[in-house]
Amino acid sequence: MSDNRTGTGSGLTLDPVTFEVLKNSFITTVDQMAEQVLRTCYSFVIYNRDFSSALNDANGDSIAQGNQDIAVHVGTLHYTCKDVIRAFKGEMKPGDVFMINDPYAGGTHFNDVRLIRPIFVGDEIIAYSQSNGHWSDVGGSVPGSFDVNAREMFREGIRITPIRIIDQGVLREDVANMIAANTRDPKSVIGDMRAQTEATRVAEREILRLVDKYGKDTVVTGFKEVQDYVEQATRQRIAELPDGSWETVDYIDRDPGQGEGLIPIRVKLTIKGDEATYDFTGSHGCISTLYNSAFGATFSGVVAGMKTYFPDLPLNSGFYRPINVIAPKDSIVDAPWPVAVTGFLMPFEKIMNSIYEIWSDIIPERAIACAFNLEYLLTGGRDTRHEGKPMFMFYDWLPGGWGGRATKDGCNVTTACFGTGLQTQPIEGQERLSPILANEFEILRDSAGPGRFRGGAGVVKTSTLREAEDTVLSYICDRERAIVWGIKGGLPSLPHGLWVKRAETGEKEWLGTIFSDVPIKSGDMFSRPTGGGGGLGDPLERDPAAVMLDVEDDYVSLERAKIDYGVVLKVIDIDLAQYEVDAEATKEARREIAKARRGWLAEDPVDIAARYQKGEINNMDMVRRYAVIVDWGTGELMPKSTEQFRESVKIRTADHWNDNIAEFGEAAE
Amino acid sequence: MSNLRVAVDIGGTFTDICIMDEASGKVRVAKTPSTPDDPLEGAMNGLGEAKVDLNDVSLFSHGTTVATNALITRRLPPAAMVCTRGFRDVIEIRRANKEELWDTYKDVAPPYIRRRDRLVVSERIDQAGEVVEALNEDEAREVARVLKKRGVESVAICLMNSYMNPAHEQRLREILVAEMPGADIITSSDTLPEIFEHERFSTTVVNSILSPVIGRYVQRMSEQLKEGGYASDLLLLHSGGGVMTPATAARFAGRLAGSGIAAGAIASRHIAMLCGYENSIGLDMGGTSCDVSLVYGGQSRVTKDWGIEFGHPIRFPSIEVLTIGAGGGSLAWIDDVGALHNGPQSAGADPGPACYGRGNDVPTNTDANVALGRLGTSLAGGNITLDRGAAETAVKTGVAEPLGMSMDDAAKSIVSVANANMADAVRLISISRGYDPRDFALVAFGGAGALHGVALAKELAIPTVIVPPNPGVTSALGCLLVDIRHDLAQSYLKSASEADAGDIEAKFAEMENEARERLEAEGVAAKDMLLQRAIDMMYEGQWRSLTVPVGAPFNSVEEAIEAFHRDHEREYAFRRDDAGVDLFRLNLTAIGVTQKAELQKHEKTGGTPSANTTRMVAFDELDAPVDTPIYQHEDLGAGSTFNGPAIVEQLDSTTVIPPGVRVEVDEWLNIRIYVSEDSK
Repeated sequence: MSDNRTGTGSGLTLDPVTFEVLKNSFITTVDQMAEQVLRTCYSFVIYNRDFSSALNDANGDSIAQGNQDIAVHVGTLHYTCKDVIRAFKGEMKPGDVFMINDPYAGGTHFNDVRLIRPIFVGDEIIAYSQSNGHWSDVGGSVPGSFDVNAREMFREGIRITPIRIIDQGVLREDVANMIAANTRDPKSVIGDMRAQTEATRVAEREILRLVDKYGKDTVVTGFKEVQDYVEQATRQRIAELPDGSWETVDYIDRDPGQGEGLIPIRVKLTIKGDEATYDFTGSHGCISTLYNSAFGATFSGVVAGMKTYFPDLPLNSGFYRPINVIAPKDSIVDAPWPVAVTGFLMPFEKIMNSIYEIWSDIIPERAIACAFNLEYLLTGGRDTRHEGKPMFMFYDWLPGGWGGRATKDGCNVTTACFGTGLQTQPIEGQERLSPILANEFEILRDSAGPGRFRGGAGVVKTSTLREAEDTVLSYICDRERAIVWGIKGGLPSLPHGLWVKRAETGEKEWLGTIFSDVPIKSGDMFSRPTGGGGGLGDPLERDPAAVMLDVEDDYVSLERAKIDYGVVLKVIDIDLAQYEVDAEATKEARREIAKARRGWLAEDPVDIAARYQKGEINNMDMVRRYAVIVDWGTGELMPKSTEQFRESVKIRTADHWNDNIAEFGEAAE
Repeated sequence: MSNLRVAVDIGGTFTDICIMDEASGKVRVAKTPSTPDDPLEGAMNGLGEAKVDLNDVSLFSHGTTVATNALITRRLPPAAMVCTRGFRDVIEIRRANKEELWDTYKDVAPPYIRRRDRLVVSERIDQAGEVVEALNEDEAREVARVLKKRGVESVAICLMNSYMNPAHEQRLREILVAEMPGADIITSSDTLPEIFEHERFSTTVVNSILSPVIGRYVQRMSEQLKEGGYASDLLLLHSGGGVMTPATAARFAGRLAGSGIAAGAIASRHIAMLCGYENSIGLDMGGTSCDVSLVYGGQSRVTKDWGIEFGHPIRFPSIEVLTIGAGGGSLAWIDDVGALHNGPQSAGADPGPACYGRGNDVPTNTDANVALGRLGTSLAGGNITLDRGAAETAVKTGVAEPLGMSMDDAAKSIVSVANANMADAVRLISISRGYDPRDFALVAFGGAGALHGVALAKELAIPTVIVPPNPGVTSALGCLLVDIRHDLAQSYLKSASEADAGDIEAKFAEMENEARERLEAEGVAAKDMLLQRAIDMMYEGQWRSLTVPVGAPFNSVEEAIEAFHRDHEREYAFRRDDAGVDLFRLNLTAIGVTQKAELQKHEKTGGTPSANTTRMVAFDELDAPVDTPIYQHEDLGAGSTFNGPAIVEQLDSTTVIPPGVRVEVDEWLNIRIYVSEDSK
């Protein structure tokens, strides 16, 4: 690179101090917006940090994004700003604020509503401030606006193409009320509109302060140069890497319109010189649920996935410039209007994890296996604890385990890669708001994908519906069949999915990961595990002392220590959580597993499914040992999904196993 | 005769001792190296070196980092947690979010109690306080047996919804106390009777694990002080900005986490108030970091949103201090693309800045200041000599040459970037909360605060800067300037439209009784008790509350609502008169006013001082260095006035006074610098 920003040879014109001051001020500005939104919002989804803030330049390109922004919004805020500019160019006035939530114009989904304010100096717009937040409801056929039966957007909620919501400082109440009236919680919608509008004003105030101090031209130059700076830094980092191509495939569980079989999302990364191209050619067409992604959200998955490998670079449009994305038209990664896309989070997370996997080969010291899948439970009904039986809405999401890493285990119980700033909700708050009692919310023993470095542990949450009527349950999740995978020899974790135990019959019913409007009654209990992370490296090479530590702390059971890791422990004193590794028995157990394991993966899936049905083996044995996918309720074999899953396990896991353990009982160093 | 007040502030590197003569108000200071293995040793050494006879001491107060360090290093006694069955992982699940969003290799700190030591009993209380499942007492006794066998010294009892009904926690405690004599057993409903399990449990865990640590420490210290002849209670500074006695510390050890940070903020408030400024911003800049605090209308900003480590909140009210990585030792560096950065990495005390000559050759803020002549080469009364040549070389090779600048410009750039970072921190704590810096005075202290204070004030349009007489030990002074303080709170979840003023008054009265009992037990006379009420409120549907002060007796919900609208508008720039308001929590601050000796006042003799020496100093305001008078702080009598450019040096600090500003030394020997026309 000859275009280095050193001394006067740099392409940048601001002096280093002004540049650094402006760069930091832009970031502080968006952080101030975030602080304001957090303290004044109404949507509990925003409150738990599903929001983002940006400063865009006069072209709509991003100058700065918030430090704590949710990952899933990254790489989309410039698109929505540009669409507002397209719609209102030449007609904007000081004091105007515009609104948009259009996924087909680069947004994410209808719930993510963006308020955008032009910042004027005289008659000139020099920038836009943008506040984006996830409203808890935007209408559509189910509470929370996630309808798994939607095939087109008309059931999903209100689509807001660019509108002027504040006209020279005056709220257009007619328009605001019309939008609010299309949702289940009009008061909160108006409240959030207000909170976000004020947040954009905070940014305007700060930018005008900078203009006062440094002059308009300097500040506008700063807008350009902070983007150029990030672009240069990104190009430099990419250029340092070897040229080459890497590809992988990850899956969505199914297309309900097509019977069983995993739905592939293919990614091929090519690094050439200082640019990175992500090609999704070969990915599946649009599917008949809401688990499709429009282009903006796909671009976001790429940017967020890649940013994970360059955590120190600031986020703005400069980061996007060296990145090219090729997505086939009318596909699951470039769904056109009016295909349903509210569940874009599912393809989004597949893209994120695929990119993690690819970059694990490019920068092995930052390798990471697959993370658990985001899950989102929606319950609504009438709360009979109170007079008048008011409506209640209970939306819940759980943390889970992240993938094992090159030097250490994955993170236990962490928010999904959808955005690690997102918080889980306090149970004591939920129990006040909804007639639902939590029976347990704990780390799920043995949920972590085994590996030399195991995945992080997932959780299980079980809840009971109490005094309620007319209550229905919906669930947005995935990886019931495309199980969270390990890499470099690590094992998968376990299937996602929800059980209901009916109070009337005492029967357990498997509802899986995607369903909508299932009626539940008082006394019914529902339970969902989340996956642990996938393991990294051969579990038979895990230090037995590390396995023992996990047993002491009950992350791993004594039984599975032996089954998954071949580590045999003797109990010394259960009161003191004291154990001892039986070294000889461990060697023997590891030898046995190493001899048998390739054979297990080749056993007839029909026989394995039958053993599961009889209760001889459990779901962890199924996915970790035999790589067989069934309907977890009935035990019915899914032949096509099994074939695809076995292929994934072969490439990601079995191909990396160390066979000399079969001889020595341990890996030869 | 007891006529001395002594404050000891034990920091990571130094233990500061501040001794005040009650009669004259004269303050004496001493500094001694801290002894991290046994902090008491350093404190007692320091008292010896300062020749303090404990028989002469009427009040001994203490700020300590013992609690903070115990948490950070995880050097904690065997501790356990007993939880509702099904909920033993609340403190590990937390809110599940990360502080570092993008770096998959940076993890949140593990919980303070390991999973194996989190045991469960069957029981359940619901959100209304009704028992859903009775406490299983057999299981409780079994838990006690196991914990006893494990040699556990402290237990946090954390049951779901105990803020609504503490009966199960109390009964469980009785059982454990009976089976485990000698252990510290603390319930969450007693520690923090507030909704939200993670925050309550996390606070309770911190409180319980620190209990044995603080208990032993305080006992040893009290004994040693008593042996030396000190007759009163040891007073301990807590994060809320008050002190407490050993008896209270046993129940609320968690309040001592953050003790060290509060002291500086308190001192800065006191000095600003003395000078007639009700609104002030404290800038405490040391070697590696800078603490910013804010006082408005004479009150420090208090937050409940803090902790020593991310993910492990401590919900006791704490003086809000924003810490950023900008100190004298912060490194200036240029990234791959050629942009100049400052901090947060620091050269620390060892090897320290390049001018220390101990092997670091990357330029620091200190080096830039030395290179500019703003900082002299002889510090601490000649005990430390700085190598100006090394500083200039570091600035040249590290910044000037790569950026193609002159050495002076490079050094100015380094300092400017540090100042800009601090200015951003001040903006976050002021402008983004609805405060205008132009209404504030800046109190600059710590080893490096006065070097940067005036430039920062200019950047933020703060009209006045105050540099206290002993900037380097201002924090210790803070320990001498506090009252006994308790903060009580309880959840009160109700719509304002349904709230009954009589009921609220009754709740407040109950809390006041408890507060009076606590203060009485600490020997505070009724006339010295000050009780302040506040209610946390929010708009119906909002998720964060705002604390609104209310009067006593409480007789009008409407007035409280109006006060909330007003504060919401100031803080967030809008109000919603059409929206309903919810009450969330009742707060009571109980203060036992201690007699505070006044700082020594000096008669203003006025006059323009003369400088003994001059040196060439480069200022941002001038293109070339100018010959600048160098004053010694101790030579500047009360009432002295002069104009910049000037440098004021003293044992523990250096004050930079750029050209064009006016300086006056006031009757307490504070240096007041009037930066702009708006200065008083």
